[in-house]
Amino acid sequence: MSFLKNSLLLISILLVGVGLAFILIWLSMAKSISYADMKTILTTTTATFGTLLGIITAGLMFTQGKFSELVSELTEKSPDYLAKVFSLEKIQSIETHLLALRKTFTQLAATTAIAKERNLYERIITKTSSIFVDFAVLLNLKLKQQGLPDTGLLVSEMDPNLYKVYQKRRQGIKKEWQIFNIIKQIIDTWEASTAFFIEKSNVKSALQADLKSSIAVLKLKENVDKSSTNIRSEVTKTLSDLNKEISEISKRLHEDRIPQLLPQMKQASTIRGKYFYLTLIFIATPLLINLLVLPQLSETTATFFQPVISVTSLLSVMGVIFLLLYIHKILNV
Amino acid sequence: MKGLKAMKKTAEERIKILFTKHSIPPLEVIIPILEEAGRGEQELTAQVYDTYASLAMGIKEILGLQGNNMKTLAKVWEIIASFGGEKIEPIELSESRFSYSIKDCELHVGKSVSSNVKSKFCDLICTGGSRALIDTVLGPRRGTCTWNKALIKGVGKCTIVFEIVNAK
Repeated sequence: MSFLKNSLLLISILLVGVGLAFILIWLSMAKSISYADMKTILTTTTATFGTLLGIITAGLMFTQGKFSELVSELTEKSPDYLAKVFSLEKIQSIETHLLALRKTFTQLAATTAIAKERNLYERIITKTSSIFVDFAVLLNLKLKQQGLPDTGLLVSEMDPNLYKVYQKRRQGIKKEWQIFNIIKQIIDTWEASTAFFIEKSNVKSALQADLKSSIAVLKLKENVDKSSTNIRSEVTKTLSDLNKEISEISKRLHEDRIPQLLPQMKQASTIRGKYFYLTLIFIATPLLINLLVLPQLSETTATFFQPVISVTSLLSVMGVIFLLLYIHKILNV
Repeated sequence: MKGLKAMKKTAEERIKILFTKHSIPPLEVIIPILEEAGRGEQELTAQVYDTYASLAMGIKEILGLQGNNMKTLAKVWEIIASFGGEKIEPIELSESRFSYSIKDCELHVGKSVSSNVKSKFCDLICTGGSRALIDTVLGPRRGTCTWNKALIKGVGKCTIVFEIVNAK
């Protein structure tokens, strides 16, 4: 995000600088420029635009190549995950634990009068539900992969809102490799993101940490008023079981470098789309104007449209700036 | 077979598991609970003591830290603080003294709690935690710990000092 802000600032400064320089040059030259000179400008800019477009296409092909490479690497791994890492027994066991936690903490949240304590329990309910939905989506995809009809297993445990989330997430999986987004989401919700660099705004407490906190709270309450002995031991056991099961998935995910590959895919996709189209607009527009419109004009009209040529030339300079940024991003994928 | 599995885990994995088993309750939650109950402070101190003692013992075992000295205490505390997400800034480490400062603390956050209550809970937590560390690493009553509550008072970083008690 900070990189994007820095880039925008850099672009803005460059644009303002180039704009001012161009206006000054144009003001000093506008009245004395001849038609022959204008033709030269036109020819030169057209040649420049053509070259730039060629480079852009090469850049796009490079990014696309990188993106395809990542896609095929992830797509190759996804069937094995659905078939082996997520066995039906494992998903059923995890879902049972998650449901037990949701039930326990719903009861605890309803009985406490302390807002902070209720917030903690509600956070646990929300995250438990989120992971429950993610596993339901994976189960659905797993069964489809094995040739079974589009099932609705586990949906009976969802309320209408949760079902909507389930539908949305399930429909969001359009490519095989996208199951890794769901798996990473599960791991991040459970044990917090393990990326080296996380923005402070994105730091959220993990479900595992919230469960540990709740166990510590229950333990203290138990020591004070002997109220929740059974609940604490049940939650402790469930946490331990879930930790064991989800840790295995997390370990495999990290061994396969999925948490590193997914952000690379995202970055490659962003570069492929946003930067390319932006650059294309800035280059294609003046190219069209210079190639198609200006040559059709008479000498008088062309002189009248002299500022347009200036603008198109300015745009070509901006195109070069975007192109440089584009190449810079490509090299950092 | 179980032992073999445990041996395969790295030290950081074992420490992570240790922290899953032992943690202190979040203060933002526990303060209003105990304030409303009007009791439970001794229990909180005891729980903090047990938690830190278990963590310190576990870390010593995992990393094979044998020394009963200030450097071992500093190492153990460094690990507890790091895995607990707390950043410490070193000031001094010698044979008889270990001091550091912290810029932020769970108690410092949250304006809804009065300074008096924060101060009381600061004492409860620091007493339980420091006593556990001293007893587990240095030996029972072989050290002292002081803290200046600067964060609660709003006068900069909080300084914590561990010192060896000289046997006379």
